[in-house]
Amino acid sequence: MSNNQPANKGPVLSAPQATEAITQVRRLSDKQPTTFIGRFKENLQFVRGRGSLEISIVLAVLLIGYITASLISPAGFAFLNPNNLSGVISQSIPVLAILGLAAGILMIAGEFDLSLGPAITFNAIVFIKVSESAGLWAGILAGIASGVFIALVNGSIVVFTKIPSFIATLGMSFFWAGASIFVNGTTPAILTTSRDATMVFLFAQDFGSFRSQLVWLVIIGTIAYFFLHRHKLGNHMFAVGGNESAAEAISINPKKIKLIAFAIFGGLVGFASILIAVRTSSMQPGGSATQDFTLFAIAAAVVGGTSLNGGRGSVIGIIVGAALIELIRNGLLLGRAPGFYITLFVGITIVIASIFNKLMEGKAR
Amino acid sequence: MSSPLLSVKGVTKKYGPNTVLNDVSFDIGKSEVVGLLGDNGAGKSTLVKIMSGVVDATQGEFFWDGKKIEGINREKTEELGVETIFQDSALVPQMSITRNIFMGREITNKLGLMKIKAMDAITAQVLDSVVTIEGIKSPKQLVASLSGGQAQAVAIARAVHFKRSLLILDEPTSALAVRATEALLDYLRQLKGEGVSSVLVTHNLHHAYQVCDRHIVMNHGRKILDVRKEDTTVEELTAAVVGGAEGIRRYRESRGL
Repeated sequence: MSNNQPANKGPVLSAPQATEAITQVRRLSDKQPTTFIGRFKENLQFVRGRGSLEISIVLAVLLIGYITASLISPAGFAFLNPNNLSGVISQSIPVLAILGLAAGILMIAGEFDLSLGPAITFNAIVFIKVSESAGLWAGILAGIASGVFIALVNGSIVVFTKIPSFIATLGMSFFWAGASIFVNGTTPAILTTSRDATMVFLFAQDFGSFRSQLVWLVIIGTIAYFFLHRHKLGNHMFAVGGNESAAEAISINPKKIKLIAFAIFGGLVGFASILIAVRTSSMQPGGSATQDFTLFAIAAAVVGGTSLNGGRGSVIGIIVGAALIELIRNGLLLGRAPGFYITLFVGITIVIASIFNKLMEGKAR
Repeated sequence: MSSPLLSVKGVTKKYGPNTVLNDVSFDIGKSEVVGLLGDNGAGKSTLVKIMSGVVDATQGEFFWDGKKIEGINREKTEELGVETIFQDSALVPQMSITRNIFMGREITNKLGLMKIKAMDAITAQVLDSVVTIEGIKSPKQLVASLSGGQAQAVAIARAVHFKRSLLILDEPTSALAVRATEALLDYLRQLKGEGVSSVLVTHNLHHAYQVCDRHIVMNHGRKILDVRKEDTTVEELTAAVVGGAEGIRRYRESRGL
């Protein structure tokens, strides 16, 4: 021990009083931004590194490229052609984005549902059959209810048996594919008399450069944003997906939250099924027609920054992810690339996006 | 003499064939700081989990302010105003500090939408008032980007903000810097003045001895010592933690007690 310590220093075991050094430490509450611009800058700073901003920049670059190419050569690369904007972009992006939001919300809560594709077939058949027999509004309700029902069956299996959702819903995907043949037979379900002006206006109307589907995406995206990022239930989903035991210790019930996530997933898939059914007017039972949607929806969510481990993701990111996938697909078509290039490019996009996400995880500030 | 705040009687916890807690009884008085000491595997953390309602006891009774509690669970402890800081700090790394602090207890409007600005402001205040932490830039920062000590401080801030009657701290100082530890111990003394009891679980005897009014030493699932601060010394507590009941006996012998 050195001798130059003050003589009146108390016993070793007594706690020191709050010293000047302690009270002088920067206070957090004094540094809170007060102006709108200050808050915006702070928000931007902490949004960075969570995926959605980066992927939005990628999308913006791609869009600028497409628009430039289309302006230089309208015939060679017809991106800005109204037929392309309303016929391709405005029909395909909203459907994938809504399915991506469904898959994403479930992934944020820490679960997957691989029966998404076959469930679309089942829901669409329910929608078509009920619309034909009991009218449009009953059909819409039935289509969405069917989606919620399927998801809750899957969800209950996952939540109550604690089987990993990958395995449980993989099994259920075959079940729902078979079930669609069971309720409908092997011939396609077709919308005939019930596909009237109201139904078309609601779900597939062409407004020149955009369609009804895009309006639905704006509505659903806005609701999803406020639910996921502003509502306490959304906050609980992030909590359960991020650290289930922590959420449980603070008296959030993970089972309840996961079942709610499954129900929302089902409702969104049911709604997307209606959009798909009205667009094509028919649905082939068996699930093969819609099986691609399962992985494309998860891909949209992952490309948009949703974590495969749960607890991370954003509504804007998922919508941008879906747009990116569909724009790459559209660009390859417009560039007259052979068909197999499409899956090749989408595949690469997904892998790069998930590597990128892996790098971002934990590094987010 | 009024009845103690929390009275634990005959608590036993078995995991399969292993008895982790064996007939443990003790009281926590009002405005009292109780040190719960013991080596690794003594059953401290299990006891904390039982008291905070996360784990059910195999056997045992609990009395709150003299009245019997039927089944101590998370809803019950929330109602009673018991807050716990768990050793594995129980935060969600992918969420911001504010969202972690208000997790499950968000400030919302009638629609259930969170008032994020208000929550951020309270978070900043709480972090300032409880423990001095350097390097936290904003309440919006993700917990994943914090150091172990900073994350610990967030967990402490959360419990401190919501506690009303009893604060249980399971190894709160394990990841804290020296200065933050001192501030926290100071804070426990201050709490006592406000009428809030606390249980400090630690194996740092010096921290416990500084602030606790009473010390309970656990050894292999049993309570082996329960003494007021005036009636013991750091040496005796050390002997009890290290040597168990045998250690206490030898210590007292050596002192001619």
